[in-house]
Amino acid sequence: MTSLFESWEKWSPQILSVVRIIAALCFLEHGLQKYFGFPSATPPGDALHYVQGVIEIAGGILLALGLFTRPVAFILAGDMAVAYFTQHLPKSFFPALNGGDAAILYCFVFFYIVFVGGGSWSVDRKIMHQG
Amino acid sequence: MTSPFASLQKYAPYVLSIVRIVVAASFFEFGLEKYFDFPGPAHVDMTPIYYVQGVIEIVGGFLLLIGAFTRVVAFILSGDMAVAYFMVYFPRSFFPGQNGGLSALLYCFLFFYLVFAGGGAWSADRAILKQE
Repeated sequence: MTSLFESWEKWSPQILSVVRIIAALCFLEHGLQKYFGFPSATPPGDALHYVQGVIEIAGGILLALGLFTRPVAFILAGDMAVAYFTQHLPKSFFPALNGGDAAILYCFVFFYIVFVGGGSWSVDRKIMHQG
Repeated sequence: MTSPFASLQKYAPYVLSIVRIVVAASFFEFGLEKYFDFPGPAHVDMTPIYYVQGVIEIVGGFLLLIGAFTRVVAFILSGDMAVAYFMVYFPRSFFPGQNGGLSALLYCFLFFYLVFAGGGAWSADRAILKQE
Protein backbone atom coordinates (compact mmCIF):
# COMPACT_ATOMS: atom_id res chain seq x y z
CA MET A 1 0.00 0.00 0.00
CA THR A 2 2.76 2.39 0.93
CA SER A 3 4.68 1.62 -2.24
CA LEU A 4 1.63 2.50 -4.32
CA PHE A 5 1.56 5.93 -2.73
CA GLU A 6 5.32 6.32 -3.08
CA SER A 7 4.93 5.99 -6.83
CA TRP A 8 2.73 9.10 -6.66
CA GLU A 9 5.70 11.15 -5.45
CA LYS A 10 6.29 12.38 -9.00
CA TRP A 11 2.98 14.25 -8.88
CA SER A 12 3.79 16.21 -5.74
CA PRO A 13 4.85 19.44 -7.61
CA GLN A 14 1.46 19.51 -9.35
CA ILE A 15 -0.44 18.85 -6.12
CA LEU A 16 1.63 21.54 -4.43
CA SER A 17 0.33 24.04 -6.99
CA VAL A 18 -3.25 22.91 -6.33
CA VAL A 19 -2.77 23.39 -2.58
CA ARG A 20 -1.15 26.79 -3.19
CA ILE A 21 -4.06 27.96 -5.37
CA ILE A 22 -6.73 26.77 -2.90
CA ALA A 23 -5.00 28.38 0.09
CA ALA A 24 -4.44 31.61 -1.86
CA LEU A 25 -8.07 31.85 -2.99
CA CYS A 26 -9.34 31.31 0.56
CA PHE A 27 -6.91 33.95 1.77
CA LEU A 28 -8.02 36.37 -0.97
CA GLU A 29 -11.61 35.86 0.10
CA HIS A 30 -10.93 37.42 3.53
CA GLY A 31 -9.60 40.53 1.79
CA LEU A 32 -12.61 40.74 -0.53
CA GLN A 33 -14.90 40.53 2.50
CA LYS A 34 -13.10 43.45 4.13
CA TYR A 35 -13.15 45.74 1.09
CA PHE A 36 -16.04 44.69 -1.14
CA GLY A 37 -18.43 42.90 1.19
CA PHE A 38 -18.13 39.82 -1.02
CA PRO A 39 -19.14 37.06 -0.43
CA SER A 40 -20.39 38.70 2.77
CA ALA A 41 -19.39 41.86 4.58
CA THR A 42 -17.29 41.72 7.73
CA PRO A 43 -17.88 44.34 10.44
CA PRO A 44 -15.87 47.53 9.89
CA GLY A 45 -12.57 47.61 11.75
CA ASP A 46 -9.69 49.91 12.59
CA ALA A 47 -6.92 51.00 10.18
CA LEU A 48 -4.97 47.78 10.78
CA HIS A 49 -7.98 45.82 9.55
CA TYR A 50 -7.80 47.57 6.16
CA VAL A 51 -4.02 47.20 5.90
CA GLN A 52 -4.60 43.49 6.43
CA GLY A 53 -7.23 43.57 3.68
CA VAL A 54 -4.67 44.95 1.21
CA ILE A 55 -2.19 42.24 2.20
CA GLU A 56 -4.88 39.61 1.71
CA ILE A 57 -6.01 40.89 -1.70
CA ALA A 58 -2.59 41.63 -3.20
CA GLY A 59 -0.91 38.63 -1.60
CA GLY A 60 -3.79 36.30 -2.38
CA ILE A 61 -3.85 37.25 -6.08
CA LEU A 62 -0.07 36.96 -6.49
CA LEU A 63 0.02 33.62 -4.70
CA ALA A 64 -2.96 32.25 -6.64
CA LEU A 65 -1.13 33.11 -9.86
CA GLY A 66 2.15 31.88 -8.49
CA LEU A 67 3.90 35.15 -9.25
CA PHE A 68 6.94 35.98 -7.05
CA THR A 69 5.74 33.02 -5.04
CA ARG A 70 8.52 32.71 -2.48
CA PRO A 71 8.84 36.40 -1.44
CA VAL A 72 5.04 36.74 -1.33
CA ALA A 73 4.66 33.55 0.72
CA PHE A 74 7.37 34.82 3.08
CA ILE A 75 5.43 38.02 3.72
CA LEU A 76 2.11 36.21 4.13
CA ALA A 77 3.58 33.62 6.52
CA GLY A 78 4.92 36.46 8.68
CA ASP A 79 1.60 38.25 8.40
CA MET A 80 -0.31 35.20 9.64
CA ALA A 81 2.20 34.65 12.45
CA VAL A 82 1.63 38.21 13.64
CA ALA A 83 -2.13 37.74 13.30
CA TYR A 84 -1.95 34.57 15.38
CA PHE A 85 0.13 36.06 18.16
CA THR A 86 -1.75 39.35 18.37
CA GLN A 87 -5.35 38.18 17.76
CA HIS A 88 -5.63 34.53 18.74
CA LEU A 89 -2.94 33.52 21.22
CA PRO A 90 -4.08 36.02 23.90
CA LYS A 91 -7.47 34.20 23.98
CA SER A 92 -6.03 30.75 24.69
CA PHE A 93 -2.90 28.69 24.08
CA PHE A 94 -4.87 26.06 22.18
CA PRO A 95 -5.82 26.66 18.54
CA ALA A 96 -9.12 24.82 18.97
CA LEU A 97 -10.12 27.33 21.64
CA ASN A 98 -8.63 30.57 20.38
CA GLY A 99 -10.18 30.46 16.89
CA GLY A 100 -6.75 30.66 15.28
CA ASP A 101 -6.77 27.23 13.71
CA ALA A 102 -6.98 28.53 10.16
CA ALA A 103 -4.35 31.21 10.85
CA ILE A 104 -1.89 28.52 11.96
CA LEU A 105 -2.61 26.41 8.90
CA TYR A 106 -2.16 29.40 6.58
CA CYS A 107 1.03 30.40 8.37
CA PHE A 108 2.66 27.01 7.97
CA VAL A 109 1.46 26.42 4.41
CA PHE A 110 2.87 29.77 3.35
CA PHE A 111 6.08 29.08 5.27
CA TYR A 112 6.51 25.80 3.47
CA ILE A 113 5.93 27.49 0.11
CA VAL A 114 8.83 29.88 0.87
CA PHE A 115 11.09 26.83 0.85
CA VAL A 116 9.54 24.69 -1.83
CA GLY A 117 8.27 27.32 -4.30
CA GLY A 118 4.99 27.42 -6.17
CA GLY A 119 5.09 23.99 -7.76
CA SER A 120 4.59 23.00 -11.39
CA TRP A 121 1.77 25.29 -12.33
CA SER A 122 2.80 28.85 -11.56
CA VAL A 123 3.52 32.06 -13.41
CA ASP A 124 7.02 31.94 -11.95
CA ARG A 125 7.71 28.66 -13.70
CA LYS A 126 5.79 29.23 -16.96
CA ILE A 127 6.55 32.86 -17.76
CA MET A 128 9.27 34.16 -15.46
CA HIS A 129 11.33 30.98 -15.84
CA GLN A 130 12.29 30.82 -12.23
CA GLY A 131 11.33 28.42 -9.47
CA MET B 1 14.60 38.78 -4.90
CA THR B 2 13.79 35.22 -5.79
CA SER B 3 17.29 33.76 -5.80
CA PRO B 4 18.04 34.02 -2.06
CA PHE B 5 14.76 32.21 -1.48
CA ALA B 6 15.48 29.59 -4.12
CA SER B 7 18.58 28.59 -2.16
CA LEU B 8 16.24 27.60 0.68
CA GLN B 9 14.95 24.72 -1.42
CA LYS B 10 17.36 22.26 0.24
CA TYR B 11 15.61 22.75 3.57
CA ALA B 12 12.16 21.98 2.15
CA PRO B 13 12.01 18.35 3.45
CA TYR B 14 12.70 19.56 7.00
CA VAL B 15 10.10 22.30 6.79
CA LEU B 16 7.64 19.77 5.38
CA SER B 17 8.08 17.69 8.53
CA ILE B 18 7.51 20.74 10.72
CA VAL B 19 4.32 21.57 8.81
CA ARG B 20 3.17 17.95 9.11
CA ILE B 21 3.74 17.95 12.89
CA VAL B 22 1.94 21.25 13.47
CA VAL B 23 -1.03 20.28 11.31
CA ALA B 24 -1.27 16.82 12.92
CA ALA B 25 -1.06 18.23 16.46
CA SER B 26 -3.78 20.71 15.68
CA PHE B 27 -5.97 17.97 14.15
CA PHE B 28 -5.30 15.63 17.10
CA GLU B 29 -6.55 18.34 19.45
CA PHE B 30 -10.08 18.14 18.03
CA GLY B 31 -10.17 14.43 18.86
CA LEU B 32 -9.06 15.11 22.43
CA GLU B 33 -11.85 17.63 22.79
CA LYS B 34 -14.43 15.10 21.68
CA TYR B 35 -13.30 12.34 24.05
CA PHE B 36 -11.56 14.02 26.98
CA ASP B 37 -12.94 17.58 26.95
CA PHE B 38 -9.36 18.76 26.73
CA PRO B 39 -8.35 21.53 26.12
CA GLY B 40 -12.03 22.49 26.03
CA PRO B 41 -15.42 20.89 25.49
CA ALA B 42 -16.30 19.53 22.04
CA HIS B 43 -17.59 22.09 19.56
CA VAL B 44 -20.41 19.83 18.39
CA ASP B 45 -23.26 17.79 19.80
CA MET B 46 -21.72 14.37 20.27
CA THR B 47 -23.91 12.24 18.04
CA PRO B 48 -22.46 8.77 17.24
CA ILE B 49 -20.78 9.93 14.03
CA TYR B 50 -18.72 12.42 16.04
CA TYR B 51 -17.38 9.61 18.22
CA VAL B 52 -16.21 7.90 15.05
CA GLN B 53 -14.70 11.18 13.91
CA GLY B 54 -12.98 11.55 17.29
CA VAL B 55 -11.27 8.18 16.85
CA ILE B 56 -10.12 9.19 13.36
CA GLU B 57 -8.75 12.43 14.76
CA ILE B 58 -6.93 10.84 17.69
CA VAL B 59 -5.47 7.82 15.88
CA GLY B 60 -4.85 9.62 12.59
CA GLY B 61 -3.52 12.74 14.26
CA PHE B 62 -1.11 10.73 16.39
CA LEU B 63 0.22 8.62 13.49
CA LEU B 64 0.67 11.70 11.35
CA LEU B 65 2.34 13.54 14.23
CA ILE B 66 5.05 10.91 14.54
CA GLY B 67 5.08 10.36 10.79
CA ALA B 68 4.24 6.65 10.81
CA PHE B 69 2.57 5.34 7.63
CA THR B 70 2.32 8.99 6.61
CA ARG B 71 1.00 8.63 3.09
CA VAL B 72 -1.68 6.04 3.91
CA VAL B 73 -2.85 7.94 6.98
CA ALA B 74 -2.84 11.27 5.14
CA PHE B 75 -4.95 9.69 2.38
CA ILE B 76 -7.60 8.62 4.90
CA LEU B 77 -7.57 11.95 6.73
CA SER B 78 -7.81 13.92 3.51
CA GLY B 79 -10.90 11.95 2.50
CA ASP B 80 -12.28 12.35 6.00
CA MET B 81 -11.96 16.13 5.83
CA ALA B 82 -13.45 16.20 2.33
CA VAL B 83 -16.51 14.31 3.61
CA ALA B 84 -16.71 16.66 6.61
CA TYR B 85 -16.56 19.66 4.32
CA PHE B 86 -19.31 18.48 2.00
CA MET B 87 -21.54 17.08 4.76
CA VAL B 88 -21.30 19.82 7.34
CA TYR B 89 -20.06 23.05 5.78
CA PHE B 90 -20.81 23.11 2.08
CA PRO B 91 -24.62 23.01 2.53
CA ARG B 92 -24.40 26.25 4.52
CA SER B 93 -22.63 28.27 1.83
CA PHE B 94 -20.37 27.84 -1.18
CA PHE B 95 -17.76 30.17 0.32
CA PRO B 96 -15.36 28.85 2.97
CA GLY B 97 -15.17 32.31 4.55
CA GLN B 98 -18.89 32.03 5.30
CA ASN B 99 -19.63 28.37 5.91
CA GLY B 100 -17.13 27.88 8.74
CA GLY B 101 -15.33 25.14 6.85
CA LEU B 102 -12.12 27.03 6.16
CA SER B 103 -10.02 24.88 8.47
CA ALA B 104 -11.56 21.68 7.11
CA LEU B 105 -10.72 22.77 3.58
CA LEU B 106 -7.12 23.62 4.47
CA TYR B 107 -6.69 20.35 6.39
CA CYS B 108 -8.10 18.43 3.43
CA PHE B 109 -5.65 19.88 0.92
CA LEU B 110 -2.66 19.72 3.26
CA PHE B 111 -3.29 16.05 3.98
CA PHE B 112 -3.78 15.47 0.27
CA TYR B 113 -0.39 16.98 -0.41
CA LEU B 114 1.21 14.74 2.23
CA VAL B 115 -0.11 11.68 0.37
CA PHE B 116 2.08 12.72 -2.55
CA ALA B 117 5.01 14.36 -0.79
CA GLY B 118 5.38 11.98 2.17
CA GLY B 119 6.28 12.97 5.70
CA GLY B 120 9.51 14.82 5.00
CA ALA B 121 12.93 14.45 6.60
CA TRP B 122 11.90 13.87 10.19
CA SER B 123 9.38 11.03 10.42
CA ALA B 124 9.03 7.59 11.99
CA ASP B 125 8.66 6.24 8.44
CA ARG B 126 12.14 7.34 7.56
CA ALA B 127 13.88 6.97 10.93
CA ILE B 128 12.44 3.68 12.19
CA LEU B 129 10.34 1.94 9.55
CA LYS B 130 12.89 2.56 6.78
CA GLN B 131 10.30 3.53 4.21
CA GLU B 132 9.30 6.78 2.58
